[in-house]
Amino acid sequence: MATESVVERTKENIQHHTDVSLWFALLFLLGFGMVMIYSASSYTAFAEHSDQMYYLKRQAIAVGLGLIAMLVVSRIPYHFWERFALLGLMLSTILILLVKTSLGVESHGARRWLKTGIPGFNLQPAEVAKVAIILFLSVMICKMGASIVKFKGFMLMMIPPAILFLLIWKVTDNLSSALIVMAIAVILVFVASPDYKKFVLLALLAIAGAVAIVLIVKYTNPQGSFRLSRIRVWLDPESDPDDKGFQTLQALYAIGSGGVWGKGLGQSMQKLSFLPESQNDMIFSIICEELGVFGAAAIMLMFVVLIWRMMIIANNAPDLFGGLLVTGVIAHIAVQAVLNIAVVTNTIPNTGISLPFISYGGSSVIFLLVEMGWVMSVARGIEYRN
Amino acid sequence: MRKPKNKKFRFVSQKKVLVLFFLVLAAFIFLFARIVWLIKNNETEYQKQVLSQRSYDSKTLPARRGDIVDAKGVKLATCEKVYNMVVDASVMTTKDGKYIETTLSALQQCFPQLDVAEIRTFVKQNPSNQWHVVLKKLTYDQIYDFRVMQGENKDIKGIWFEEEFRRIYPGGSLAADVIGFTRSDNQGLYGLEEFYNKELNGVDGRTYGYLDDDLNLQKTVKPAVDGYTVHSTIDSNIQSIVERCLYDFNEAHKNHNHYGDGAENLGCIVMEVNTGNILAMASYPTFNLNDTKNTSALLGGVQVAQVDKENGYFEIKKTGKYIDQELLDSMTDDEILTNLNYLWKNYCIASSYEPGSTFKPFTVAAALETDSISPDSYYECLGSWQVGPHNIHCHNRYGDGVISLKSAVAQSCNVAMMKIATTMGAEKFSKFQQAFNFGLKTNVDLAGEARTADFLRSASEMDASDLATYSFGQNFNVTMIQLATGFCSLINGGYYYEPHMVSKITNSSGVTVKNIEPRILKQTISASTSELIREYCKAVVTEGTGKAARPAGYMIGGKTGTAQTYPRDGNDFVVSFVGFAPADDPQVLVYVVVDRVNEAKQDNVGYAREIVRNIFTEVLPYMNIFMTEELSAKEIKELEDRQLANTLKYGKALENPDETQSDDTPDMQEKDPAWKSFPKDPATGYLKDPNTGELLDPDTGDPINGTHSALDF
Repeated sequence: MATESVVERTKENIQHHTDVSLWFALLFLLGFGMVMIYSASSYTAFAEHSDQMYYLKRQAIAVGLGLIAMLVVSRIPYHFWERFALLGLMLSTILILLVKTSLGVESHGARRWLKTGIPGFNLQPAEVAKVAIILFLSVMICKMGASIVKFKGFMLMMIPPAILFLLIWKVTDNLSSALIVMAIAVILVFVASPDYKKFVLLALLAIAGAVAIVLIVKYTNPQGSFRLSRIRVWLDPESDPDDKGFQTLQALYAIGSGGVWGKGLGQSMQKLSFLPESQNDMIFSIICEELGVFGAAAIMLMFVVLIWRMMIIANNAPDLFGGLLVTGVIAHIAVQAVLNIAVVTNTIPNTGISLPFISYGGSSVIFLLVEMGWVMSVARGIEYRN
Repeated sequence: MRKPKNKKFRFVSQKKVLVLFFLVLAAFIFLFARIVWLIKNNETEYQKQVLSQRSYDSKTLPARRGDIVDAKGVKLATCEKVYNMVVDASVMTTKDGKYIETTLSALQQCFPQLDVAEIRTFVKQNPSNQWHVVLKKLTYDQIYDFRVMQGENKDIKGIWFEEEFRRIYPGGSLAADVIGFTRSDNQGLYGLEEFYNKELNGVDGRTYGYLDDDLNLQKTVKPAVDGYTVHSTIDSNIQSIVERCLYDFNEAHKNHNHYGDGAENLGCIVMEVNTGNILAMASYPTFNLNDTKNTSALLGGVQVAQVDKENGYFEIKKTGKYIDQELLDSMTDDEILTNLNYLWKNYCIASSYEPGSTFKPFTVAAALETDSISPDSYYECLGSWQVGPHNIHCHNRYGDGVISLKSAVAQSCNVAMMKIATTMGAEKFSKFQQAFNFGLKTNVDLAGEARTADFLRSASEMDASDLATYSFGQNFNVTMIQLATGFCSLINGGYYYEPHMVSKITNSSGVTVKNIEPRILKQTISASTSELIREYCKAVVTEGTGKAARPAGYMIGGKTGTAQTYPRDGNDFVVSFVGFAPADDPQVLVYVVVDRVNEAKQDNVGYAREIVRNIFTEVLPYMNIFMTEELSAKEIKELEDRQLANTLKYGKALENPDETQSDDTPDMQEKDPAWKSFPKDPATGYLKDPNTGELLDPDTGDPINGTHSALDF
C-alpha cells in the first residue's frame, strides 16, 4: 500500500497536498461498502420491496451526493466554517428537539429520525450533532487557548457536549450516538491539552463505572431496564436466543461460520432474513461470513490507513483549528468503527452504531463525507515544506 | 483564531495525535484478535447452527387424482383446484403494521363470511406466526376478486393461497354406487374410487432445498405425477335412463302401503352379453356424491342398526322402521353413520337375496348339459310335489298339467324343476352352480362385492329338499352381479365373461397404460344348450310369464322371478326380471330386482317386468339395435307418447303437435317398401315386379337377375 504523499506543483507555484492513500482508502471503503450492502440486502430488498437493488440504489445516491458535498467543502477554506460554530450547535439542538414534533419519524421502535421531504430519506439529527460538536469544540478550544489546561476551563469545555449528550440520549433515546458525541469531545480536549493525568483518571473512572454496572447486572439481575437487559444478554447471549440475544447470536453465528476464508462473496446464509439489520449495523458480520478473516482484516486495515493519513494531516495542519478539525473527524470515524466492530463481535453490549462509510444509511454517509471535505480542505492548506 | 495566544497552542500536539492513533490501532488489533478467537473456537459449531436454521423449503406438491370417465368420455368424477387461505402474520405486521388494516378491509370486502375481527386479534397476538389457515377449499372464482385487488394494491400483504384438489362429481348422484367417493385424504371409498384407488391417486411431488458441496442452497423440484384416468364401461346415457326408470318406479309406489320408499331396494344391471361390460348399474335409494353425508338421502329408507356380538363382530340388522324426519332427528351420530354406510353400499354387488325363478334356466341348462334330460322331455305338474317330509307347492296351486320342458320354463313350473334337479342329482347340480360362480365372487372390479359362499350348500351337505328348492332358486342367496353374469353365459353360447366396469386406463396425457379386454373365464355350457335356453327364454316372453316385458318393436327373451323372503310365513317378496335383446342374437341384458315393493301384495312379478320393459324401450334404439318386430298401432302410439314426453322434458311443446307426429312417424314406423306387395312368382318363389317382370328376393328386394346386380357371384 502506497503511503507516500504526492506533491503537485501548480502554475502559481502554490503547492497543494493531494493524498492518494487517503483517497484510495476512502473510495475503497465506499465502494466496498456498496458491494456489501448489495450482497447483504438484495434478498430482503426483494422480499420487502420487490427490488433487489432497493438499498443499493439509495446508498449510491447518498454516496454520490456526499462525494459532491465533499469536493465542494474541500475547495472552501476551512476557516469559512468558524463563523457557523455556534449556529451549527444551536441548529443541531433544534433538530434534536424537532424529533418530538410531528416531523419525527419512528422506526425500529425508536423515534430518532426527521422527515426531509424526500421520500425514503430521513435525517438523523444525531449525525448533525456529531458534525456540529466537532466544529464547535475546535473553535472553542482555539478561543480559550491555554485556559483549557485549568480545571475550570476543562469543565467549561465539557458543558456543551454534555448538554448535547443529554439531549441525544433523552430526547432521541439514542445512547450510542450520545456516547459518540461525548467521546469526540473528550478526544478533542485530550489532543488539545498538554497533560495526560486527568484523562487517564477519567478513563479509569469510566472503566470502573462500566465494570460496576456489569457486576451489578450480573449478580443482582435487575428487571425492567432495556439497557441493563442488554448488558445481561451481552454477558450470555444464549440466555435469550430468541429475543434480545437474537441479533447478537446471529451475528456471532455469521462470523463464526465464515471461517478463515469466508463462504465467498454473495454466499452468506445469515443474510437470508436471519440476521436483522444485516445491511446496516450488522454488515460487518456479513463481511466476515462471506469474506472471512481476510475480509475483516482488509476493512480494518483500510480504516487504519484512513486514520493514519488523517493523523499526518492533523499533525501538519497549518494551524490549531485545522488540526483540531481533522482530529475531530478522526475521533468520529475511529470511535464508530471500533465500537461497531466491538458490538458485532459481542465485545461490548449491543447498541446501534453503524460502520462508517460501509453501513447503509444516507445521512450518516453524507455527513461523514462532509467531514472528509474538511480534512481535505485542511490538507490543501498544508504548505509544502522540504 | 488567527493569532493563538501562545506558541504551545499554535498547532495540535503531534504526540497526542500519535497517541490517539496508536490507541485506535490497538483497539483494531484487539478486535481482530477477538474475531480470530471467535472463529477458532466456534467455527464448526456456528456453521452447524447456521445450517440448522435454514428451513430447506421442503414442500409437497399435490398430485391431481385421475378422472373417472364413462364409455363416451363423459366425466363422472374429476378434480377441481381449490385454495386454502393462509394468513401470514409475520408479513402482515411488517412496516409497523401498516398492511394490517388495508389487507383486512380487502378480505372483508371479498370474503363476507370471514370473521375479520378474529384474524385481527390473531395477527396482533401472534405477530411471528406464518401459517394460519382461515378458509378452506375456496374455488378460483371465489378468490379471483381478491387476487385482482392484491395485484393492484401493494399494501395488501400476508395472505397466501395454498393449492389443493377437491374431488367433484359432475353427475351428482349419477352412478353413485358404481363410482364411490373419496375421503378428504384422497382415499377412495366404495366403487371404482376404492377399487382403482392406486391407479387414480398420483404420486405427490416435492420441492427440496439442499446444500451442495459449496454450501450453496440448491432447490430441486420433483414434479407430482398426476393420477391415471379410469375409463369406465358405464354409458351415462344408459345409466341415466336406468336411474330415471328406477326413480319413476319409486315415485309411483312410495308411501302406498306404508310410509317409505317405493321398495326397500331397487337394483338394475345392464350388461353387454358378449363382453361382460357393464353398461349401467344402479340402485335406489341412492345419494349425492357431492354431498355424501346429507342425511335427507336416508329419508324413506329402512332403518338399520348395528348389533354387537360377543366375539367382537357386529351385524347390521333392519329395525323394521322407516326413516322419517322425526326418527332421523332422534338418531345419534353413530346411528346416522351406520345408516349412511348402509346407503352407500352398492345393492347390486353387496347385497344377496334368493333369486327365485330367474334361476330356473340354470337348472334346465345344467340338466341338458349333463344329458340328464332331453329337450323333448315332458313333465306332469299337479300343483305340488312331495319331497321327503315336505310337500312343496308350485306357484300354480292347481297344477300346470303335462307340460313340455319349454313350457316348464315359460310357465315357471316349480314341480318340473324339482323333478329335473332330482333326476340330475345333487352332485351334478352343485357342480354347475359352481360353474356359474354361484357361491363365489365374480371379481367384478368394484369394491365391496359380497361373499355368498355361506349361503349355498355344497353337494355333500345338500338333502333332497335342499336340491328341490334350489332348483327353482330358493333357499340360497345370490348377488345381482352373479346372476346377471351367469345369465349372460347361458344365452351367449356358454362363454362366461368376467364382469367388468373399466375398459381402459390412461395416464394424464392420454396415453393408454392398460387396456382391459373382455376376458372369458370359462365355457359353462355348450353352444347348443345355450341356443335351447335362448329359445325357452323367448317362450317366456311370447307365451309365458314374461309377456308384458316385451318392448315395442323388439323380441326379447327373459325370465321372471318371485322369491319369498324370510320369514316364510310373511308376505314379503323379492320380484325380479332378467331380460335380453334381441331374443335370437342377444346383445344386451337387463336385470331388475324389486326388493319388497311398497304395496299390499308384493308377489307380483309385473313390478320388475315393467321396469325392464321401460329400460329396453329406451336403451335398445339408443344402442342402435334394429327393431325385430313390426309395430302395432298401439305400440306406435305408445312410442310417440313416450318420445313426446321425453322431448317435453327438455324443451317446449311445438305449437302443432300433429305436425311433430307426422314428422316422427317415418322414423318410428318402418313402412314396407313397394316391392313387398309384389305378387309372388309361383315358379321360382321370388317376387315379380309387375312392371318389368324382374324377379326380386323376397327378403332383401334385390333383383335375382344377374344383369342388374352390382355384385359378382
